[in-house]
Amino acid sequence: MAIIEVKHLTKEYKLGALTGIKDSFRQGLAKITGRETWQRERFKALDDVNFSIEEGEVVGIIGHNGAGKSTLLKHLANITNPTRGEVHVRGSVAPLIEVGAGLNPELTGRENIYLNGAILGIPRKKIKEKLDEIIDFSELEQFIDTPVKRYSSGMTVKLGFSIATSMDADILVVDEVLAVGDLAFQRKCFDRMEELIKRQGKTILLVSHNIRQVERMCERVILMNQGVMAADGRPKEICTRFYSENDEKIKLQTAKVGGARREMTGGVEVKQIELLDKSGRGVEDVDYADSLIIRLTIVTSIVLNKPYFGIGVHTTDFLYLATENTDDLFQEKTLYPGTHVIEMKVSSFPFLPGAYSIRVGIGGGDISKPLFYEESMFTFLVKMPGRHIRSTMKEGFVSLSPEWTLVG
Amino acid sequence: MIGVIKNLVDYRELIAALAWKNIVVRYKQAYLGILWAVLKPVMLMLIFTLVKAFVGIDSGEIPYPILTFAALLPWVFFQESTSEGINSVTGNAALIKKIYFPREVFPLTAMVTKLVELAISFLILAAMMVYYQMVPSVYALWVPVIILYTMVVALTISFFGAAMNVYYRDVGQMLPVALSLLMYASPVIYPLSLVHQKLMVEKAAGEWSETFYMIYTANPLAGIIDSFQRVMLKGLPPDFNSLMPGLIAIAILLPLSYLFFKRAESWFADII
Repeated sequence: MAIIEVKHLTKEYKLGALTGIKDSFRQGLAKITGRETWQRERFKALDDVNFSIEEGEVVGIIGHNGAGKSTLLKHLANITNPTRGEVHVRGSVAPLIEVGAGLNPELTGRENIYLNGAILGIPRKKIKEKLDEIIDFSELEQFIDTPVKRYSSGMTVKLGFSIATSMDADILVVDEVLAVGDLAFQRKCFDRMEELIKRQGKTILLVSHNIRQVERMCERVILMNQGVMAADGRPKEICTRFYSENDEKIKLQTAKVGGARREMTGGVEVKQIELLDKSGRGVEDVDYADSLIIRLTIVTSIVLNKPYFGIGVHTTDFLYLATENTDDLFQEKTLYPGTHVIEMKVSSFPFLPGAYSIRVGIGGGDISKPLFYEESMFTFLVKMPGRHIRSTMKEGFVSLSPEWTLVG
Repeated sequence: MIGVIKNLVDYRELIAALAWKNIVVRYKQAYLGILWAVLKPVMLMLIFTLVKAFVGIDSGEIPYPILTFAALLPWVFFQESTSEGINSVTGNAALIKKIYFPREVFPLTAMVTKLVELAISFLILAAMMVYYQMVPSVYALWVPVIILYTMVVALTISFFGAAMNVYYRDVGQMLPVALSLLMYASPVIYPLSLVHQKLMVEKAAGEWSETFYMIYTANPLAGIIDSFQRVMLKGLPPDFNSLMPGLIAIAILLPLSYLFFKRAESWFADII
């Protein structure tokens, strides 16, 4: 029998401010006198969500901000009630929703262990037994008798995580918590979670924006999109799908917002960037391993001796992947005021499917500093038409085009 | 109602932990600590004693300071636990949004928290009884029952008020005003015997006297304060005539108030 069952779950919130007594009074008056009453606009945070989770399953819930992930968890933890539909949970739920919630800043770490334990429903006797283990896991021996208000945020989370995972609940709900703490502690949290999954066979719900983490730990992933359950299935497929949706979104955003870093001393300006495919047509997106021409149209208002150009490719989060520079190639040339066109041809564009951006630098004369520099000037997608995108392609930027041999 | 008692048992560790947290947090960085809790009844007693010197209130054979302190002890307990109870849900918004347990834990915790402060007031009362050389009679065994009843009265208001306060914060603002008015309608400054004398013996309101007396005692605090003074200071059993109207009112209101709270509870996290 399913440990969690969600049927036609719909949750609506009213938009706008909560009415005060004055508005309620006016509403009531309008009702009595038979005049029109007004309703605040409604917003569907969850829209007809259906799924069931079996005991021992580890399920990841992913989606953009506002997709309804946390609202869904709130229903599972019985914090709020559905507008329509049903939620059945058989067993105790340990919420890890923002671990710090139950911690009181005035109390010491040790006092908080007892308090938070009581809030999570752990019997006092059991906390006493586990006290040393909890303190040990949190790595806070030295600070355990110091009020939590003097803790750093990382220390607070460590303490919260240690308490919550020591609880014997049937269902563990984890919301974005592993993202905090230093790398070493994150590693420890992973191990603790994996122990809970593998050895104790607990049912775990993991909400995270760290898709790699979800992909690694879960055996099933639910993708939420604007309150609707967009997909439910194997982690690889769904995470890959989410990645490509994300790339599209990032491309749209960067196109709107424009460049990030930008330096201009004047005199040189890039009018246009175009991507041309092998037949010379302007394109928005690029096919993987295809030949490609990046064409810059620039306008100069000064005489530029010894011009040089640089074009680089970076990810949408500004990891520089490749940078090409003409260096001394055009040392003998001089650009007079007017419009000029520069092309850079790449015979096989090496980057795997995803979203990428172009940065451009232009300089010249005897000044070493570029006269023009801008990042994120043009964002485009690399696609792989007709072929299924393997999810391993998401774990890197280039392909080694390997030839595998099984020797022996 | 059985649900409340069951929760009280099931969640006793949580209630104890939360109450302990309330007390520790409130007095942690205060040098005088929990002694601050008794400042209020002691100060009021001094003021009332001073006022009494001007207006003259007949306190019978019991010295006025201890009589009024014995009235202030249940009154302040009631007043404080009601205020705490009404604000207990809105004051724990962070928890309510994150975690589920029956929400009546919050008003119940408020009562338990104030019980600790009440215990300290009892020490002062004991000291005063030693000073006035008064010995409690066997009827003092009624005290736990009276205190329990006071908690039930405070809970009746708290359940309804706390739930209303989630929707309309006006309730939290209005309560201190209403409670300070109620104090004058309760036998705190003056003893109940004075009201009894005026209405039931002297028939000051003519044929309406009995009705007025009943309305007066429908305030459960009238019976509570009078009974507390009787069992602690006068060596008499509680006067059930003065308790009865209040008891009936509470017996009707408590289930209604609790039901209201339980029905509102499921929307707390959305509204708060």
